[in-house]
Amino acid sequence: MPDKDQSETAGVSRRDIFQILGAVPAAAAVSAHPHMHMAPQEAASKGPYKRQTFDDRQWETVKVLCDLIIPADERSAGASQAAVPEFIDDWIAFRTEQDGHQNLRAEIFGGLMWLDREANRLFAKTFVAAAADQQKQLLDRIAYPARAAKDDAPWVAFFNQFRSLTVGGFFSSKVGVADLPYLGNRAVPEWKGCDPKVWAVIEERMKTGYKGILEAKPWGA
Amino acid sequence: MAQVKATPKTYDVVIVGSGAGGGVAAHVLSLAGAKICMLEAGEWFDCEKDAKMFAWPYQVPHRGAGTQYKPWGAFDATTVGGWQVPGEPYTTAPGSDFMWWRARMLGGRTNHYGRISLRMGPYDFKPYSRDGKGFDWPITYDDLAPYYDKAEELIGVFGSQEGLENTPDGKFQPAPAPRGYERLIKSACDKLRIPCIPSRLAILTRPLNGRPACHYCAQCGRSCSANANFNSPGVHLKPALKTGNLEIRTGAMAREVLVGSDGNATGVSYVDKKTRSEVEVRGKIVVLAASCCETARIMLNSKSSLFPNGIANSTGLVGRYVMDTVGSAVAGFLPILQDLPPQNEDGVGGMHLYMPWWLYKEQAANKMPFARGYHIEIGGGRGLPGAGALGGYPTQFLGGGYGVELKQKLRKLYGCEVHFAGRGEMIPNEDSYCEIDPHVVDQWGIPVLRFHFKWSQDEILQAKHMQETFQQIIEAMGGTVTHKLGSENNWGIARGGEIIHEVGATKMGTDPKTSVLNQYCQAWDVKNLFITDAAPFVSNADKNPTLSITALGWRTSDYIAGEVKKLNVKV
Repeated sequence: MPDKDQSETAGVSRRDIFQILGAVPAAAAVSAHPHMHMAPQEAASKGPYKRQTFDDRQWETVKVLCDLIIPADERSAGASQAAVPEFIDDWIAFRTEQDGHQNLRAEIFGGLMWLDREANRLFAKTFVAAAADQQKQLLDRIAYPARAAKDDAPWVAFFNQFRSLTVGGFFSSKVGVADLPYLGNRAVPEWKGCDPKVWAVIEERMKTGYKGILEAKPWGA
Repeated sequence: MAQVKATPKTYDVVIVGSGAGGGVAAHVLSLAGAKICMLEAGEWFDCEKDAKMFAWPYQVPHRGAGTQYKPWGAFDATTVGGWQVPGEPYTTAPGSDFMWWRARMLGGRTNHYGRISLRMGPYDFKPYSRDGKGFDWPITYDDLAPYYDKAEELIGVFGSQEGLENTPDGKFQPAPAPRGYERLIKSACDKLRIPCIPSRLAILTRPLNGRPACHYCAQCGRSCSANANFNSPGVHLKPALKTGNLEIRTGAMAREVLVGSDGNATGVSYVDKKTRSEVEVRGKIVVLAASCCETARIMLNSKSSLFPNGIANSTGLVGRYVMDTVGSAVAGFLPILQDLPPQNEDGVGGMHLYMPWWLYKEQAANKMPFARGYHIEIGGGRGLPGAGALGGYPTQFLGGGYGVELKQKLRKLYGCEVHFAGRGEMIPNEDSYCEIDPHVVDQWGIPVLRFHFKWSQDEILQAKHMQETFQQIIEAMGGTVTHKLGSENNWGIARGGEIIHEVGATKMGTDPKTSVLNQYCQAWDVKNLFITDAAPFVSNADKNPTLSITALGWRTSDYIAGEVKKLNVKV
């Protein structure tokens, strides 16, 4: 793995910092920084990713599943374009080595087996070859823990795990970071604290509450 | 092992260790004109060249996740070190749980630490007099206050003037404005009557001595290419090296303090790691600052006919009364923060607000179930996404799901997390100490430490109070508690050593029979042996130790410089 190259590209000297903090706006200066141009692209810049965990058949399933969990939308690309399958393949190999056991690997492999087995039983196809509504039928059984059948518990656990890896891999990718968006990890010439406009929204919500995805109640007296 | 090599030169001072304690001693003494040889067990580190600033998790393997030998991830400034150092084990006694973080690098733990810089207060120097537990220090707050001033003015600390009880203000640079979630936490704390004030961190908000102000990338733990946060190599050692009076030997693993026939220290014997050979360096004064427990280890391993139990250990107290900090944490999720307009919430590497201990009056009125106090450290917001970012949210908050709807919900929930960590005072006890393990050595042939550790009810009940308080704060913000621990887990109290605030082991005192060092951190038994790390600490107030190590080390170094001038120490 390219540890050495990356630590070198990541290093920014004190002189560079003074340049960054100079007259140009910080964001523009950072993107114009020669080192930053060398930041490796996910998977792309160092030739094709070499798989460590999944075989060819699993790999096709993993890619499809990742994109079903995090598809492209109007704001950003989907999980496979963000190299999430590569992340998961590497992550399972990494955890297997660090943890000294294969529990994660077994859970993911077993779940992938079940997807194909069940698709074959119900539709006489592999999961990848199944139609979109057939894939949906299977995922709907295991993607909502509270309403899943008891007998599906192992596959619910598998999907929780796989979804967690996909979501975590996506939002820590370059695509995902821009999607959120996370706006930091750059030089800021002057720190001003919370944007007053954002604080005004928070204060308003303290008074009146907010009905979003999760409800925030008003604070009361 | 190769033949022992002795350096012909005799230095004025040999300093073991280059972190906060060794760094300040080298700084003060080299500027005072002393010729110094510093031994560092790790390799050279220069933040301006070696920091991994601005790198992204997606640019490195496994998103930079922690590994066995790099537990805090790929970007952590600690080059070699962690809970385990390859080839350098330690052991724990049956029934004891202790973790020992060591940083084998120039500057030691100052390269990655949290930069939290809190003065101990007047009460903290006389805890025994106040509640009958532990010991009093041989000095008062007033003795150390001028050195806190000097330390803050050299390393650069931001903060605010508050005038709170037992929470002394200092020579502060302006504090950075709070982030959104921090203002929210402050609003909740105002309701609960918990003081929430600007934090005090050794990060520059204004240029100082040629070092630029912070550029607010929040990644101080990686070390700073701009040298805008305190670290010993960039702040203590760089000016010291410029004097020409300081020589630093890296890869030098101190093994033993050498003793002459008169009972004075004559230097240090160390293992040169590259050649695996034993080297002796001679000094008129020896300063140990290898980190509290490593300092005790060197002393216990320095056995001679004059000191059969280890150097300066006639009391048998070397290694005793090791303390760590009481830690317990709660996490929460704040729906009020969902789907806000995006903003950069990085700021400095650490909290902009914190809560100092506030229940002194209740304690004085005997209304609290435990002695001593804690402060609260906070975190949260729109932080740098690493491996696993938002990964648990679908099951935690959304009942599952997948597809475009899931993706759109997830991005709206980003930034809603908050974390509270208590950092409280541990009272020294007879069951918490380190000693030489008679059966185990490291790869340098040096006997290793065996740790004994036990929390008392004072600490466990303090952790309970932390858990309850943090949950109250989260609920006051309309939030959901996502991580808490109860009585079955001793209220989430950290393992011994886990907070990496080990202090004690060679306590100071007023009586040579009940302490290892006098009030100048000079060994009672060996007049030219001094200690400037956290080993001299008599108590471990909730104030994180580094600033006090720096102030106390400065006071000790001033004393050494004065003694050299008066020739009270044989030079």
